[in-house]
Amino acid sequence: MTQANPGGPAVADGCGAPAGTPMVTDAGNQAVVQGKVTRGGSPVSVGYARLLNSGGEFVAEVPLGADGGFQFFAAPGDWTLRVLAPGGIRAERGVTAAIGEIRTLEVAV
Amino acid sequence: MSRSDVLVDADWVEAHKGDPGIVLVEVDEDTSAYDKGHIRGAVKIDWKKDLQDPVRRDFVDKAGFEALLSGRGISTDDTVVLYGGNNNWFAAYAYWYFKLYGHRDVRLLDGGRKKWELDSRELVTEVPARTATSYAAQAQDTSIRAFRDEVVAAIGSKNLIDVRSPDEFAGRLLAPAHLPQEQAQRGGHVPTARNVPWSKAADEDGTFKSDDALTALYSAAGVDFGTDTIAYCRIGERSAHTWFVFHELLGQRNVKNYDGSWTEYGSLVGVPIEVGDGA
Repeated sequence: MTQANPGGPAVADGCGAPAGTPMVTDAGNQAVVQGKVTRGGSPVSVGYARLLNSGGEFVAEVPLGADGGFQFFAAPGDWTLRVLAPGGIRAERGVTAAIGEIRTLEVAV
Repeated sequence: MSRSDVLVDADWVEAHKGDPGIVLVEVDEDTSAYDKGHIRGAVKIDWKKDLQDPVRRDFVDKAGFEALLSGRGISTDDTVVLYGGNNNWFAAYAYWYFKLYGHRDVRLLDGGRKKWELDSRELVTEVPARTATSYAAQAQDTSIRAFRDEVVAAIGSKNLIDVRSPDEFAGRLLAPAHLPQEQAQRGGHVPTARNVPWSKAADEDGTFKSDDALTALYSAAGVDFGTDTIAYCRIGERSAHTWFVFHELLGQRNVKNYDGSWTEYGSLVGVPIEVGDGA
């Protein structure tokens, strides 16, 4: 559901979820928050990444990709990333997004 | 209409998923999720490929919907149980869409795919073989579908509920935060719209909040339950979730989903737009 966009980040076609979307290497004009979730060094492929705003309110959620990956195109500012996975696994990380920058989180749960 | 008429839980699905007359249908934002594993016996509907006209911006017509459901082996009298990821976002959209074409018995799996997965329930890759049917749809029920002129006319007179995130409502973002930010139209919201993000209607596991909690949520945002309501988002999926809450859970009449939503409204010439966080 995503396609290459030469010179910029992936572009979503409609509203397709980017589960398993390859990490971008050029943020373009986006404020990218991305990363991978691992457990014992292996990717967590069944689970969800949620983005909460500075008030703790839910903003977006994506399923983790086969490689444990997730990706958001946020507004600039402070965010909390929350990971949910089977077995009651939860983890949180704080992150500050900025236009034109990629914030990459490695989340071991 | 009560909750049990429109929502089923995972135990119900486990007990009834093989019953004649029950069809499980997965509809996901991530259209590849089904192929990686789905509830045993479930068929897939692709919200984009199957439900949208390939050329015009509109839904498939009645004949197209009949052909789709016939091909999936779904009968007019079947109980269709929809589920999907992201709090049933696209499953709720499909629910509304099935109702638009008059399907009588449609339900959502409460919590959708996410709760099913987080509870470590079985997912299989085997695709069921269902015999084709001759599905008969009804003409579109436009009492649940709003078009742009109705939205403009509703400014200041009906409940307009913008269910996007606060940043989209204010005009700081043009798409949800997990999608690239397209710049195809103006940012902001329909004047007098209240911002109640769709996701507030669900708990973290994707299940719907109680009727009392939902009523309190929308009342606190200034929604008048004595007035007709139009819900919108960016392309009409998240607002279908809120339509489900108002029309199916809370039993409100005269509730419409504006599927043109912000990608249409924000591109119209001459209509009023408000920016900022609102009242």
